[in-house]
Amino acid sequence: MGHMQLKEIKAAPYERAEVKKGYTDQSLHINLDKTDIRISPIDTAVKEKFIGGKGYDLWYMWNAVTGSTKWDDPENTICISAGPLGGTPGYPGGGKSIVTAISPLTGAPIDSNVGGYFGPYKKFSGFDVIALTGKADQDTVILIDGIESKIKIFAASDLPETAYEMSDALTRYFDEEKPVNISVVTAGPGAENTYFGCLNFSWFDAGRKRVRYKQAGRGGIGTVFADKKIKAVVARFGAISMKTNNPADLEALKTVTKTHAKEINALDPKQNRMALVGTTHLVPIMNDHDCLPTHNFKFGSHPGAAVIGEDVYEHIFDKGFDGCWRGCAVACSHGVKDFSPFTGPFQGKKVFVDGPEYETVAGCGSNLGIFDAHTILEINFYCDAYGMDTISVGTSIGFVMECFENKLITTDHTGGMDISFGNRHSTLALIHQMARGEGFGAIVGKGVRQMKQIFATQYHADAAFMQDIGMESKGLEFSEYITKESLAQQGGYGLALKGPQHDEAWLIFLDMVHNFMPTFEDKAEALHWFPMFRTWFGLCGLCKLPWNDIVPEDNKDTEEPAKVIKHIQWYADFFSAITGKKTSTDDLISMSEAVYNFQRVFNLKMGYGTRDHDTIPYRAMGPVTAEEYESRQERYDTQLTEKYGMDISGMDTNAKVAALRKERESQYEQLKDAVYERRGWNRNGIPTKETVKRLGIDFPEVLEVLEQNGVK
Amino acid sequence: MIQVDEKPVKWYQGMTIADLLEQMEDVRFCSVVRLNGRLVSSPKFADTRIPKDAVIQLLPLVAGG
Ligand code: SF4
Repeated sequence: MGHMQLKEIKAAPYERAEVKKGYTDQSLHINLDKTDIRISPIDTAVKEKFIGGKGYDLWYMWNAVTGSTKWDDPENTICISAGPLGGTPGYPGGGKSIVTAISPLTGAPIDSNVGGYFGPYKKFSGFDVIALTGKADQDTVILIDGIESKIKIFAASDLPETAYEMSDALTRYFDEEKPVNISVVTAGPGAENTYFGCLNFSWFDAGRKRVRYKQAGRGGIGTVFADKKIKAVVARFGAISMKTNNPADLEALKTVTKTHAKEINALDPKQNRMALVGTTHLVPIMNDHDCLPTHNFKFGSHPGAAVIGEDVYEHIFDKGFDGCWRGCAVACSHGVKDFSPFTGPFQGKKVFVDGPEYETVAGCGSNLGIFDAHTILEINFYCDAYGMDTISVGTSIGFVMECFENKLITTDHTGGMDISFGNRHSTLALIHQMARGEGFGAIVGKGVRQMKQIFATQYHADAAFMQDIGMESKGLEFSEYITKESLAQQGGYGLALKGPQHDEAWLIFLDMVHNFMPTFEDKAEALHWFPMFRTWFGLCGLCKLPWNDIVPEDNKDTEEPAKVIKHIQWYADFFSAITGKKTSTDDLISMSEAVYNFQRVFNLKMGYGTRDHDTIPYRAMGPVTAEEYESRQERYDTQLTEKYGMDISGMDTNAKVAALRKERESQYEQLKDAVYERRGWNRNGIPTKETVKRLGIDFPEVLEVLEQNGVK
Repeated sequence: MIQVDEKPVKWYQGMTIADLLEQMEDVRFCSVVRLNGRLVSSPKFADTRIPKDAVIQLLPLVAGG
């Protein structure tokens, strides 16, 4: 490879909009077909209704695409937004970016909430949201330079291949002296060659003097980015402080920031110790509660989990401050320095691995039967460097392994590879193939939904069995929790707008362990409230973790401890302090409800968003095979006899599997009914006209979509 | 004696985590504790004996994700 070349093909100076109360009220549109740069104001009505962040992203996407737009059509638009509260230094989790596009995996809008400094830098450079549309005819790098007030588009050649090297090279290229002023968004070769490409959002770690990154992982936004021939989008901005958002009440902002940060500093060491172990504490906890996916979600625990959890990673993680946002007291974005991969292009070199988090350990470790902390690190490193979502990678390979062990596919299909559970060599070989778009890896890189079809039509594999064990819904691979014993979390996955990601609702413990939602109505209430509140973080540009991963000491004495009401009040205060709008905790929910329902209608516009699309594979509900049933026989037998009043004395295991399945599938359908009703949707899962009117999103084009889908 | 959330609690030979929680108030959300630095989850509470002079933290909600 030669020396990196960036040839400026367009430069547009602009007058940087002042940030007022968290907003610039400007949007930036870059059309790569025409190399066109356009800046336009954001209507007050849009601001009132969509708030910012994911709300803005969805609104601009809605206007850019038609119902027949496919992920690789030029009009598919990647939107990136920060939200009005994003960019508050010192507020825990106060600097996320929210990215959306039409997903290659689902065909519908996908959203991802990601750390790194890009979102805030872009906002402070003058833009609440950027929309990237069209397709370039050559590799392209875009610079949003808030220091010099210029947007530049470059034709790029000889860039480093991986996101790992590219983020570093571009950071130093655009501000050698002050690399901390730069944040880079990159994908990688894996994003070009799979449908689950992720985006890496960087920040410069001043303590370690190196570029770090976090991933907007879900749904293949990196694939869309690569398809547009965008190699990187770079934001450059200078010093920031609490004043940079120009808050309505600086003193109130300082007070609430200090209060929340102080609590985290005091309580994290006594609670989950995330500043030391990140989210790896969840590995032993999920394992003990039978919720850690092992062997393609077949089981929920394994003795090997003991060596891939916090006890191990605490000692491997590099010591130092690990906030993916400036001054975030949770500081949970850990990494490992001087790691030496044993395969691939970095074999034998020393690299820094950003991660792993719980999801990667579970998805690329236990779910594959790999109980080796170092192999998980290597998978983590390559997935990020290649630009591939570790969750989809883990869940897809888990599916392949089970198909292989059941002889649905053989070495004839895998190019001679033994893809049995636990085979780390084959796993890494597959990941390298996926990134290059070669061999059997090219098929795995299409994700579980497409693999099911390919295996059935080309390899004559059992389609019904693959439907049961293929852990995808709406086309998106499941994130890493076993939900068999939590009906509420089955809904948390199946009824999530974008597909089975846990960021809308995580109810396993409330439901399964504490039994706090015994009725369908209780579960429906939780599946209304939690997704609405969690959506709010995406509107405002915040990280959810500081809300309920560290909780006040007196939280248990409150009326509804699961909601962590004290923190919600702080978030309302935070919103009031920045925007100047006196905001109550209930207001936060109503802000989200409008955007949430709009996204459901957006799904509908794209041909999805109805009851059928909220289906989940049976493995998410219960034991598919006799082996699974017998592994937890006492539990299931007791349920059949005590909960469902059956006489099982004459039943063999297969009969019991079938009987349990009938009950559980029926429960899931009843849950759908209860949740739809609570959300103000009809029995087909579509928001009613009354609901969209109540929420003020009864725009003519929304009503048109409803009418086209039979809503009178 | 053992320390539970920085407060002394009387200990007896054979005491399990389940026994400890039984005698405490407001522990309905406690599904995980740290016993001398190691995580122990509720399915193991009844079988986990607390050693003498143990330091225990009752972890609040498990939030996940
Ligand atoms: S809590 Fe963790 S993931 Fe969230 S902003 Fe802080 S460091 Fe990043």
